[in-house]
Amino acid sequence: MNDPHPSSDSWHQAGRYEIRLEGHLDNRWAAWFDGLTLTHLSDGTTVVHGPVVDQAALHGLLQKVRDLGLPLISVAQVEPDLPVQSR
Amino acid sequence: MTPSRQETVAPSLLLETKLYLPRSPRGLVPRQRLCERLDRGAASKLMLVAAPAGFGKTTLLAEWSAGWLASAPAEQRSVAWLSLDRGDNHPGSFWTYLIAALRSAAPGVGASALALLQGPQPAPTETMLTTLLNDLGRIGNDVVLVLDDYHVIDAPEVQDGMAFLLDHLPPQLHLVLAGRADPALPMARLRARGELLETRAAELRFTPDEAVTYLNGVMGLNLTAADVAALEGRTEGWIAALQLAALSMQGRDDVAGFIAGFSGDARYVVDYLVEEVLQRQPADVQHFLLHTSVLDRLSAALCDAVTEQDGAKAMLEALDRGNLFLVPLDDRRRWYRYHHLFADVLRVRLLDQHPDLVPSLHRRASDWYEQHGERAVAIDHALAAEDFERAADLVELAAPATRRDRQDATLRRWLEALPDSHIRVRPVLSNDYAGTLLVRGEVEGVEARLRDAERWLDAVSGDGRGSCPRPPEMVVVDEEQFRALPTAVAIHRAGQALILGDRTATVTHARRALDLAGADNDNHLGRAAAAALIGLASWGTGDLDAARAGYAESLVSMERAGHIADVQGLALALADIQIVQGRLGEAMRTYRQALRLAEEQDGPVLRGTADMYVGMAALHREHDDLPAATELLARSQELGEHLGLPQNPYRWRVVMARVRQAEGDLAGAVELLDDAARVYVGDFSPNVRPVPAMRARLWVEQGRLGDAFGWLHGQGLSVEDDLSYLREFEHVTLARALLAQYRTDRVVRSGQQALELLERLLAAAEDGGRTGSVIEILVLRSLALQARGDVADAVGPLERALALAEPEGYVRIFTDEGPPLATLLAAAGQRGIVPGYVRRLLATFGETPARPSRSATLVEQLSDRELDVLRLLAGDLDGPHIARELVLSLNTVRTHTKNIYAKLGVNSRRTAVRRARELDLLRTRR
Repeated sequence: MNDPHPSSDSWHQAGRYEIRLEGHLDNRWAAWFDGLTLTHLSDGTTVVHGPVVDQAALHGLLQKVRDLGLPLISVAQVEPDLPVQSR
Repeated sequence: MTPSRQETVAPSLLLETKLYLPRSPRGLVPRQRLCERLDRGAASKLMLVAAPAGFGKTTLLAEWSAGWLASAPAEQRSVAWLSLDRGDNHPGSFWTYLIAALRSAAPGVGASALALLQGPQPAPTETMLTTLLNDLGRIGNDVVLVLDDYHVIDAPEVQDGMAFLLDHLPPQLHLVLAGRADPALPMARLRARGELLETRAAELRFTPDEAVTYLNGVMGLNLTAADVAALEGRTEGWIAALQLAALSMQGRDDVAGFIAGFSGDARYVVDYLVEEVLQRQPADVQHFLLHTSVLDRLSAALCDAVTEQDGAKAMLEALDRGNLFLVPLDDRRRWYRYHHLFADVLRVRLLDQHPDLVPSLHRRASDWYEQHGERAVAIDHALAAEDFERAADLVELAAPATRRDRQDATLRRWLEALPDSHIRVRPVLSNDYAGTLLVRGEVEGVEARLRDAERWLDAVSGDGRGSCPRPPEMVVVDEEQFRALPTAVAIHRAGQALILGDRTATVTHARRALDLAGADNDNHLGRAAAAALIGLASWGTGDLDAARAGYAESLVSMERAGHIADVQGLALALADIQIVQGRLGEAMRTYRQALRLAEEQDGPVLRGTADMYVGMAALHREHDDLPAATELLARSQELGEHLGLPQNPYRWRVVMARVRQAEGDLAGAVELLDDAARVYVGDFSPNVRPVPAMRARLWVEQGRLGDAFGWLHGQGLSVEDDLSYLREFEHVTLARALLAQYRTDRVVRSGQQALELLERLLAAAEDGGRTGSVIEILVLRSLALQARGDVADAVGPLERALALAEPEGYVRIFTDEGPPLATLLAAAGQRGIVPGYVRRLLATFGETPARPSRSATLVEQLSDRELDVLRLLAGDLDGPHIARELVLSLNTVRTHTKNIYAKLGVNSRRTAVRRARELDLLRTRR
């Protein structure tokens, strides 16, 4: 079957994700976010990015964002090996 | 603390701090506008307070609750409060705490619901909630139920239950959900109906005025309007951030500098501010905060143990006074917790600065909880410490109590958190793992776990019986469980085979378990489980003698083990089998003994009592003592559904339908069976008397042959089928339908088919030792022969039936067949066959036992068309439908009806049908 979407089995597949938050989150939070990388952007946002094993893990990360009370700007699946875009 | 019988109903692991209604903290900005909003909202079904952490949800609700309680006399209002945590995200814990919270506000409610949650077979959530709602509907005062931190709940079973609760909420109960996320409830519908009041971050955040009141009024900071505006802008009214900012500014000389620095920084507000606050604390306070941040709850003793210092009491009091985000969890200020947001930031700092310290902090907490009898928390901390050795030891020790309290979900969570390597070296845990899977009906993974357990057992027992030295790598901490392990593994093997549908293997494993348990005099539970599995599997194969023996043995062992509630379920199965075997007297004794055992127990009425009454009612009905049957059914109903096993609602309706049928109210009986099918709940027992088949039998009796055959064909039943015990009831139903068809249309083939099928059924029932079935089939055979005109032949089978039935006092098995059987009985009586019994039976056919000559007493014979109408009047079609069925106009049907009434000398449909039955006008064409 021809699936136009990037991965038809995206429920079970690992993928790279970028979670953008408002505010600069210190690097010490990296461990909190299961070892993902935190990058500060000049517009005052933080991008949490890296490999996420599956959808359940992604939702776990989003819950952590929620529990911090940080405004969530976007969540996106990204192609591997692309650097975080500066804005 | 020895738990009394009452306390076992409410599990001892209940944390009272979770039910504590928080007091309004010191240094509060009064939130008049929000309290008024909530006052108005109390009229709506649901109040939702949804906002991120630190927006003052809990504080607002505490303030509002206090005001709401104070504004009416104490006996009119109460507040039930429950602070949820992640451990409550499964039905057992969630509902137990929710009911405990309600009981703190409305004493006495929910006792039955709690019993349902903890009974031997957990009832469906809706049944449990229905009994709870019944209780709540009766309370006289208004109750607000606050569920704080509801965002931790995402288990679908819990959410479904909450939706049900919300749908049926009595008007006195007001539900408040507070959390960081919207609940998965039909919010849009509630909103559209105006049944929802939402208070969100936009409302909760401090307005500029409130910020001024707080910063300058409460905290006494004397800030300029511009300063306040800057703080308000930077924090966006986020209350926790403003509090942290105020704490950072207290006693600071350079307030303006702080505000400038803060405003110009893009860092996460809370992070920035906690840093500021911490830096202003002495080193010992900083250490204390960081080290105790691993704890979900704090007490002085626990903090001393975790920090390995003393002085936690003074420290906690100082933090409480200093408003350092410490939330008291009780009035005596014994237990506290940190504000969630603060705790998270502290934990991140701890992890960053002292990652090596985290495991030892958790390990100390685990030790402390273990020493203080809270094994479950001790396990969670051991897992957090990644001290899997310790966690596995504790899980092994905790397993029996966890299983007994029906907390299998918790046991499973722990086992899943342990690395496989730690489970596989532990035979007891390997077997426990298999058990948690089997409890949920899963077989995947069971085999490997059982093999691990068996491998160790083999290694210990060696080839012969002599025991070998234990392999050093095998770990056993609970010797008692290890001793009983061979039995436990065999029982799990039997359970595995049962789920896989292999009844022979089930019996083999269960017998082995029984042998193994036999060697151990104290293992009553093991013996009871094994014998019940033999009973169950044998029942399914139709080996009723083995089934009866299995259940009887299980019952005795279960009684010795003192599990009287389980005895009730076993008695029900045993009596079912005894009834099929035609042992009515034994069945009655089984019910009575179980009932006596239940009554001898102190404390609340045991679950299963209601089922015993229903079983006894069915037997009284068979003996044609309808008043006794009705009375027992009423008694069962008075006890309430919560005192019945999950099957009781449908079983009650089935027996009630049979009573109605005996009273001649066929339509009422059908209605009850419709209801029974709706509430039907299966269990592992074979469903040998399916409700729809019973209903098809009633249709046959009503003359609705089309419906009956429609159902029979839909089930794929045919006279050519191979016969088995499991479908016997349905095949007898088919024979009944064929016989009725033969009586109405005289198609020779139907009669022949009925007779042949009955002959085969008879042989099968005799083979299987099912005397109850044999009697019924013999009766039907003689009726079929009679219908064919072979009255002389017909008496033969009847004579055999009478001989089998007399010792057990059967009545309705004959009477239910109506006038044709009365004719046959009279014929049998004339031949001197068991004359006393036959006379007694004939007397039960009513004042006017039908005689063949009876129809001759009609002044005027009914026409064929009138007979057609009459037969339909016996069903439940209304006039227009009868007209359509017979392709007549409604007026013509009315005319026929009037003539029928006149000829029968009656004035209503009901009496016409009764009279027609007496005259045997419904079954045969002249």
